[in-house]
Formats: sequence, C-alpha cells, structure tokens
Amino acid sequence: MKMSQEAPQQMPESQDSQAVAQMETMLRQEGRSRVAGNTLAFLKDHAPFNKMTLEARQLFAEKAQIVFYPTGNEIVGPDSGNVRFFYLIESGKVQARQAGEVTVTEYSILSLGAGESFPIGAVTAGRPSTNTYTAVEDTFCYQLPADDFMTLMSSSPEFNLFCTKYIASLLDQSRRQLQLQFAQKASEQQTLNSPLVGIGSRSPISVPPDTPLRKALETMSEASVGSLVIAGEDRKPVGVFTRSDLLDRVVLADLPLTSPVSMAMSADPFRLEEHATAYDAMLAMASQGIRHVLVTDAEGKLTGVVSERDLFALQRVGLRQIRQAIESADNVEALQQSAADVRQLSFNMLAQGVGAEQLTQFISALNDALTRRVIQLNLENHNFDGIEWAWLAFGSEGRDEQTFSTDQDNGIVFASPDSAAVDTLRQRFLAFALDVNNGLDRCGFPLCKGNIMASNPQWCLSLNEWKNQFANWIRMPQTDALLNATIFFDFRPLFGKAELAESMRRHLLEQAASNPMFLRAMARNALDVEPPLGKIRDFLTDLEPDHPGKIDLKKYGSRIFVDVARIYALAAGVHNTNSVQRLRIASQRLSIKSDEINAVLEGLDFIQLLRLQHQYLEGEPGTQGDNLINPDKLNELDRRILKESFRQARKIQTRLRLDYQVN
Amino acid sequence: MLGLKKFLFKGATPANLPADVRAALEAWRVTPAAALDDIHFHTRYVVVEITSSGFKPESDELLSIAASSVRQSTILPDDAFFVEFSAQKEDAAVDRQLMAFLQFAAKCPMVTYNVPYVGGFLQRAFKERLGVDFEPQWVDLAWLLPAMFSERGTSIMPLDHWIEAFGLDAGNGRRNAMENTLMLARVFQMLLVRAVGKQIDTAAHLLDESRASSFLRRNH
Repeated sequence: MKMSQEAPQQMPESQDSQAVAQMETMLRQEGRSRVAGNTLAFLKDHAPFNKMTLEARQLFAEKAQIVFYPTGNEIVGPDSGNVRFFYLIESGKVQARQAGEVTVTEYSILSLGAGESFPIGAVTAGRPSTNTYTAVEDTFCYQLPADDFMTLMSSSPEFNLFCTKYIASLLDQSRRQLQLQFAQKASEQQTLNSPLVGIGSRSPISVPPDTPLRKALETMSEASVGSLVIAGEDRKPVGVFTRSDLLDRVVLADLPLTSPVSMAMSADPFRLEEHATAYDAMLAMASQGIRHVLVTDAEGKLTGVVSERDLFALQRVGLRQIRQAIESADNVEALQQSAADVRQLSFNMLAQGVGAEQLTQFISALNDALTRRVIQLNLENHNFDGIEWAWLAFGSEGRDEQTFSTDQDNGIVFASPDSAAVDTLRQRFLAFALDVNNGLDRCGFPLCKGNIMASNPQWCLSLNEWKNQFANWIRMPQTDALLNATIFFDFRPLFGKAELAESMRRHLLEQAASNPMFLRAMARNALDVEPPLGKIRDFLTDLEPDHPGKIDLKKYGSRIFVDVARIYALAAGVHNTNSVQRLRIASQRLSIKSDEINAVLEGLDFIQLLRLQHQYLEGEPGTQGDNLINPDKLNELDRRILKESFRQARKIQTRLRLDYQVN
Repeated sequence: MLGLKKFLFKGATPANLPADVRAALEAWRVTPAAALDDIHFHTRYVVVEITSSGFKPESDELLSIAASSVRQSTILPDDAFFVEFSAQKEDAAVDRQLMAFLQFAAKCPMVTYNVPYVGGFLQRAFKERLGVDFEPQWVDLAWLLPAMFSERGTSIMPLDHWIEAFGLDAGNGRRNAMENTLMLARVFQMLLVRAVGKQIDTAAHLLDESRASSFLRRNH
C-alpha cells in the first residue's frame, strides 16, 4: 500500500519523464567516477601523475579511454594525420620507430613500457607524429583526447613541466644531431667538450710563495718547464711565474735572486674547476689574453695546468696561432688571414658540440681581438695621448651574439673637458675612425649599410653628447628613437677607457627607470613583429615578398627574443648586453620562473644554432650568408623544434604584452 | 483499489509503478533493439557485472550493477553505469534505478562472465519490479573464451585464471563490481581482435559463436 500511497502521478507529465532521465544521469556519473577510480589507482604509481594534484589526476581519469592494441598493430604514425590522443601505456610494450630514412633523434628505435607516454611533442603541437608507434606486445593504453590533454597542460603545472621537459629533451637531441652533421665534416677533431680533468699537465710544478727566485728558476730549469705555479701549503694557487716574467720583472727590474718568487709572479691567476671544459679554457684564453689556465678541484686546490699548447692538440686551427697571428699582425693584410681562421675555428667548434650561446660569444671574443688589432694598427697614425676615449660596439657585436656574417656597428665616445674643443676633437676621431672602418671592412666585416659606424659624425660623440642623445630618445620615444634604442642601447666598449661606457650605461639605466612610458613604447615596438606561426600551416613563409617560401630567422626569430631581453634588462637595471644573460638575470630579479625562462632560452639557442648552421653550410665561400631558411628543407624533428622555439617567442611576447599592457 | 487489483493480477506492467517509470518503460518497449549485423567497431556492447548476497538468483538479493560500454573497441568513462541497491531505498527509487539501467543498456548486446548467474539476477529483478522479461542478447565470456583462446585455456575456468593467462594485472585482493566490469571489458577488447582474426566480424556472428560454444560444451 505504501507504493500506491506515493503519488508520482501528481507530477506533471514532463517532469515525470525527467525523473528517470535524471536517475540515469546520476547513475552514469556514478559509473564514470568508478571507472575513473580504476584509472586513478594506476596513475598513483606512475610519474608524473603521482606528483599531480588530485584534481588534475581526476581530470585525466575521467577523460581517459581504454584501448587495446594487439601485437604488431600500429597505434599512431606519420600517416595517421594530426595526433588526436595522448597515450599512456597501461600494460604491454610499444616500439617507437623513426619514420623515413633519415634518423633525426639519437635513437632509431625506442621501446616504451607501462607508465610511459607518447607522442608528447606531436600532440602538443597538434601535428602528425614523426615516429611510428607499434605495439610489440599485446598492449593496453589510456588515451586522452587532445583537447583534454591541452586542458590538463594548462591546469596542471606538474604535467606541463613534464611535457615541457620532454620537449626540451627533444631540443637537446636535435642539437646533438645537428652537431653530428658537422662532426662528420671535421672528423679528425677531438671534442672541445671534454672536461679539463683529462687535458694538460696533471702534476704541475709548484713552489710556495716564499721560495727564493734562484731556487724557483733552478726548479724550472731542472724540470725544463717554462712556467711555475705558486701555491700555498693548502695547494691553493696564488700566482704564476713564467719565463717572460723573468725578463720584465727580474732582470730589467733589477730584482735580486734572493727575493721571494711572489714578488715577480703574476698574482691571482685565472682558474677553472676540473669539470669545466676545454672550450671554457679556450674562451678564457681568447677573452683574457692569457696562455695558461690553472685547474683546481672543488675546494680550489691545484690539480693541473692547461696551456694553449694543450688546447692546440685538440684543435687543428689553433687558438694560439690565431691569437698570435692577430696580435703580431703588422698590417691589415695579415689580419685578413686571421679573420678567415676565426671562421674556420668557429666552424670546428660548431662541429664539436659547442652550443650557440657559447659559440656566438666565442666568435665575438676573437672578433674583438681582431677589431682591437685593427684599432691599434691605426693608432700608429693617429695620436690621442692624454684624451680619454673608447671604441664602442653596437648591435649584435655589442651583445656578444655575432654569427658568421656580421657587418660593422660601432661608434666612439670621448671625454672632453672643454666643450669648445669637442668639434675639433671629433674631427680627429672621425679621420681615425674612417681608417679603422675601412680596415675592418677589408678583414671581412662589411661597412654598415645604415652607416652606424664611428666614422659617421652622428656616432662619434663626447660622453655628454651620448648621454643627451640617450636621454632624448628616452624622453621622446618616436619611431626613429625606438629603432636607434634597439641598436645603440646594446653597447659594449671594445677598446680604450671602459669607464666611459660604464658611465653611459648608468645614465641609460637611470633614465629608463624614470621614464616608464619609454619601456612601454619599446614593448609596443617589440610586439610589432610576431613569430611566423601559421594557423593552418606550421609556418608562415610569405612574410618576405622577395623571398617566398622562406623564413627570416633573424627578423622573425632571434630578434624577438633579443628585443624582449633588452626591455626586461632596462626594466630590471641589468648591465649586461648579451640577451641570454639579460634574460637570465632579469628573470631572477623579476621573479620569472626559471623553468619558464630556460624553455625560452632553449628556443633562442636553437634558432641561433640554425642560423649558424645555415650560414655555414649554405653560405657561398667568401660571401655573406643570410638568415633565410626554407622550413620544408628541415628534417621533421627540427621543424617541430623550430615551431616550439617560435612558440617560446610567442610566449615571451605574451608575457611582455601583459607586463606592459600593450594591446 | 484498481491498483491493488492489477497488482494481484500480475499484469504485464505492475500497477504500482510510478508514472514516470511507466512512461519510460513504454517508450523503451517500442524502441527497436540495436542492429546486430554491423561490424564490431560500429557496435555498442554493454559489459555488465553484478554483486549479490549469494549465488542463487531465485532467492538471494541483487546488490549492485556495474556496467561499461565497449564502443569502437574503446572503453569510455563517459559511457559507464553504476547502481547500488540499498535496503532502505524507497521502492519508487529502485524502480527508477532499474529503468535507468534499461535505458543505459538501450537493447545493445550484453557481455558478461557466466550468464546464468548475472542474467539470472537481472531477470528476476526486472520481472519482479518492472514486469519486464529481461532477455538481452548475451555474450558469455565464460564459454566463449576457451573457444576463442584455446591456446591459453581449453576449459571453463574462473575469471582470475583467464586474467592470469592474459597477463593482465588482477590487482590486489577482491575487485569491486566496476573493477570486475572493466577487467571483463579489457578481456572483451582482446576477444574482439581475436574474433575479427577468425572472420567473426559482426555482433550477430559473435552471438552465434557464444551460443554455439555454450551449447557444445554443455552437450558434449
């Protein structure tokens, strides 16, 4: 009777039918949550899911479908079109095979087991998979639809990090692959990536600082070595004494042989830790003009010495030869050969696995030496005794980011105590600068088409004139001023009085800090060019009407990073000019997450490496390479990573847009 | 009074059914059964498992139903169903729950392990509560597996033996109803691949095979 007392009949007809429907919905939800519970039990044992929040795992579990692939079945491959699912192996084994004949990653076949997932790069990029994934055992997978995958990426930082790291490891693989291509061209070369622990002398001769000179010289003579390390009892090096010191500091200085060796040594010698690479030692020698690098353990105790000769053993075109040739060149003709050697050496280093960031710095260091020599040679004809001045490098040279093809961007700053004398002084510097510019041109640094050269009266200024110029650009950020800012604010002193440049820098940072509108204008300017990512196609290749099918990697690639780096550097008061350093330091000061910035820097590094590769491999010998690449000619993985790199460019632009509220 | 009479008379549809269930039932009765002549990939199979208070369908209590579909050879969390019958639940709610299961199953072919047990409990519940003769097209894995995977086992064995034979992770301890359903669903996914390999490529064909396997085993 209880049943008949219930009066569902009183409910209106439409509501009646809904009651069962509602019940079905409820019980379906109950079913879904139990299926999800089953999946959750699997997820809690596998990274990265076990580190994700319960909400994120729940999202995965409620959306992931279960599929079965019998042995031998292809799960996803290049022909299956854009990847629709992210796969997580529940049980069984899946083999990843490179499609096509060219292997682009270091593995050609990779075996994946329970808890591993694929194809992360392709599903992130929404493109077909490069690899063919085949079940080599009966395999069950969870498959998460691409949309839900993207939702999970954006809502779970742990999952995002996992995928980003995976893509970064692809970047790394591709870079190594790129290097392999070069290495085949320079096969005799040993690696510059080897740690110092295996190079040079392992048992360097050392004496305590209070050793009398005579005893020190006898020790050198007995061991027939040209140099001695001076180290305390704790084996921490305090100085170096070489044969050349004997002439300058002992014989000519009339120092008695009973004096302690510490009076004649070069104090505070340059040191590197054992795990630093031959490349690091080479860079130090090139940039500091030294011939020995002391090697220490983690506690700073001496364990070895690496000389230029040791590094020469690693290098066919030796650093020593190039530097010596540069420093002893007595005319521009001799420097021309050195310029060619710099190029050859850089190429060898590229082949040996030196990253783009280090390599561009290295090219810059040697080009600096070349430029200094050209300046020195010309100073023989121009006398500026008693005048404080400095030669400035701008643009990519100022940022230590030179690639193989770089034209001149330079200027002069001079101090003038008397404002009436400025113009007279300028005339003298201009005549000198014209000689230097022409000399550099003959050494393979073409004259600047935009006439940004020290021989242009506009860029040969007194310290006060430079400061005023900077202040004007910042106060009135018109189009020209902003363009100039992107070139001239990346300055670096190459020769002469570095303090002048430092004074310019302090002035610049102060001005920028007190004019927020300027940075905003810079930001707006930097956002004018966007990375060439297509909505339908991967890349936009028709942005340059004169070069259909090609992408300008400088204009649409590296410059985006460089522009953003400059703005953040100015905003955060960073003194560095190098974009990587600028981004690293600024991100710390502005509390940008290091994972985020590392991904951005990887992107920049990859684009720079592609530029270097392109300029070397595609450039006609003796001509300037360009930055135009055809993405269709890249291998599949490089295309994918280039796309990811452009995404990073877009990401950092988005950040800039938000930070400066540019719409 | 009229209701009571009908109840005593045991008409096709119990008179005490809530109107919404009655309406839904009528709609369900006239919906056509799912077509069985399409390939497996286009067929929705409903894998079902139950729990009960004992092993006798005629006297023990049905406690829960857990079901999941296998569509396009895929198990979809969005197409699953679970109901637990609690003793305190008012009858109208139970009727709605059973009706909801009929709607979920949508007259698709059903898959389970040991039809006499699962089907027996379901049949009694639907007969008693909704007056429905619950006679879906059953695929009985208990009989079909030894016929299709003779290299892994040739006789009727407990489900756990099959799980082991397939190298699946049986989990620790007792599985709940949904865990069991999902295990059956995975086994069924494997079975579908095997079936296609034997040119058994439609639901109708598979159902024939299931019937034949149980007939052969029971009679020979």
